[in-house]
This record gives sequence, structure tokens and C-alpha cells, in this order.
Amino acid sequence: MPKKLIDRCQTDSIREFRLAARQRFNDGLALAAAGQRTGAIYMWGYTAEMTVKAAYFSLIGLAERATITWNSDLQPAIARGRQMNIFWPKPGEGHNIRAWTDLLIAVRALSAATQYPPPFGLELQRRGQRLEYLWRETLRYRKNYAYGYEMRQAREAAEWLLVNAYAL
Amino acid sequence: MPRIRTGIEDRPRRPNVALADQLAEELKSGRSSGQPIIYEQQFPTGKLRVTVVWDAWERLSLEERTDVILRAYDQAEGKGFRDRIALASGLTVPEAHAAGMLPVQIITALRRSDTVTLEECRQAMLDEGASTLFGPDHLQLRFATLEEAEAARQRLVKRLPESEQVWLVTQDVGPLADWSNSEDEG
Repeated sequence: MPKKLIDRCQTDSIREFRLAARQRFNDGLALAAAGQRTGAIYMWGYTAEMTVKAAYFSLIGLAERATITWNSDLQPAIARGRQMNIFWPKPGEGHNIRAWTDLLIAVRALSAATQYPPPFGLELQRRGQRLEYLWRETLRYRKNYAYGYEMRQAREAAEWLLVNAYAL
Repeated sequence: MPRIRTGIEDRPRRPNVALADQLAEELKSGRSSGQPIIYEQQFPTGKLRVTVVWDAWERLSLEERTDVILRAYDQAEGKGFRDRIALASGLTVPEAHAAGMLPVQIITALRRSDTVTLEECRQAMLDEGASTLFGPDHLQLRFATLEEAEAARQRLVKRLPESEQVWLVTQDVGPLADWSNSEDEG
């Protein structure tokens, strides 16, 4: 008897986030090709979210395969962001790509060894802001049809993050 | 087979020039009160995190706000200055309050015996930078620190003599209030 899909999945980790981000990006492309624009944006949002989270946890020294949990990792990161006055609304806080992006940039700027060279950080911030405008994890509950330009913008932002995943 | 090479750069952006001009003037003027409030937080690396709290952002996306801020700094400080900016964010007063940035507030406690009027107080608060975005009848004058609030209170008293007892400084307590129930946290 083959293992069930859920049982075959690994726990959350930097490595898993990075691999899954690529898979979700391709899922988005397949949906886009089938004319399912909202579904495509939905997938690309997760591509971005996982890419940025992987970058943050890698930056703070978490091992590639270490399990990432809500209580031990995600919540403390969000609390750190709020301490740094990052605008981080409570609803959907774990998925707020713009806030995660701001956190990543701010924490990198704390050290000369990790700060982004200009204008890379501002470019990253822009992608986070763009996705905040287009994506929420709650899109799955909504029936709507995205415009073509919205789909293009979401794909470009997710693609940029994916292309630069190891530079983030 | 055609081989087509393209960049992945965004199309050129055109920030809101009028707002950028206005913000550039604010950067140069160094006014001690009123909106916008410009916070420049310096990281140990010398990089800056610029946060501009301004109700004029209300109809602009976060991305557009950042473009306006960068353009304003270009104008006020020169083109090279943006290399020092790590993060540039624009927030309205309600957004900045929700982010925990403005926990201190000046409120009015007007009594019948006071010689100043409610309208005078309202106008003075607006000139000090009060926000109308919390609701048409719900003016809020907020600050990051008690010191900023106290300085504003003194300006208000100077502007409206005999209003010393009218202005109260209060401070939010407790953790950031939940705006609503989270639909999905993880």
C-alpha cells in the first residue's frame, strides 16, 4: 500500500519551502495556461511567501532541514518584526508577504556583512508590496476572476523572488 | 526559431509628482509639527529605514508611496541618497497606529468653563497633525513618544492660551489589539 500524499510530505523547513516554492510556481504556470488566472495568482503568492520565509530563516542561521513551527519560529519572527515597527496586521499574519519582506530587509540592514547592496533591497521591498496588493491566502475563499495584468504582475513578482531566491 | 531576450524590469514608474514635491519641501523645511511625520531610523550599518506617516497616502498603494518617498529624497537630498535607504514605507496615521508606532495620544477634555471652543481645539489639533481617517467625528492626534506629545501639548497651549487643562496625554497599554479574528495564521 503506497503512503498517502500527506504522509509522504516532509515537515516545514527551509529546504522544503524552497522546493515547494518552485513546484507552486509551476502549478501557477499550468493554471495560467489553462486560463485560471485567480488560481495562478494564488499559487504564485505561496511561491513568494515560501521564498521569503526561507531566506529569513536561512539568514538567522536555521539549518536547511530543521523543522519550522508556528510557535518556535514563525511567531517569534512576527514578534520581532512588530518590535521593529513593521506594519504587520493580525489577520493572516503568517502569510503577509510584504511584512516578511520588510522584516528580511530590516534584519539584513543590521549588519554590514548581510545588508543588501543598493538598489536590491528596495527592489525586494517593491515585490513584497506588489504582492500585498494582489494576493492574500484567503483568495481561496473568494470567487472572482483576476485581470490579465494582475496575473502578469503576480507572476513577475514571484518569478523575481524565485530567480533571486539564493541572493535574498 | 526566434530567440527573444527580454529583461524582467518593471515598466518605468511615474510616482505622484505633486505629493513627491510636497514631501521634498517637507524634508527641506524641517517643520516641528503637523503631517507628514518623517521617521528616519538608522541601522548600525548606516542604512536608513524611512517611514513617512501621512494621511495623504490613503488612496495610494504601498508601492506608489515608496516611489513618492524615494523621489522626494532624490529632490531634497540628491540622487545618491537613496542608496542609503534600506526600506521606505508610507503609512497613514491609522496604519501607523495599528503597527504600534504611535501609542501616545493627545485628547481634549473640554469643560463648559473653558474659554476655548471645541472648534478652536479641533483646528489646533489638525494643524498639529491630527488624523481624520479614524472617522469624521473622531479626530486623533498621535505620537511615537511621550516627549513628542508633550512638545505638541506645549505648542497647543501656546497657541490657545488658557487651554492648559484641556489637553490630556494618554498612552496605549497592552499588546497590539487584534483587528479581527485571524482566518489562517500559519
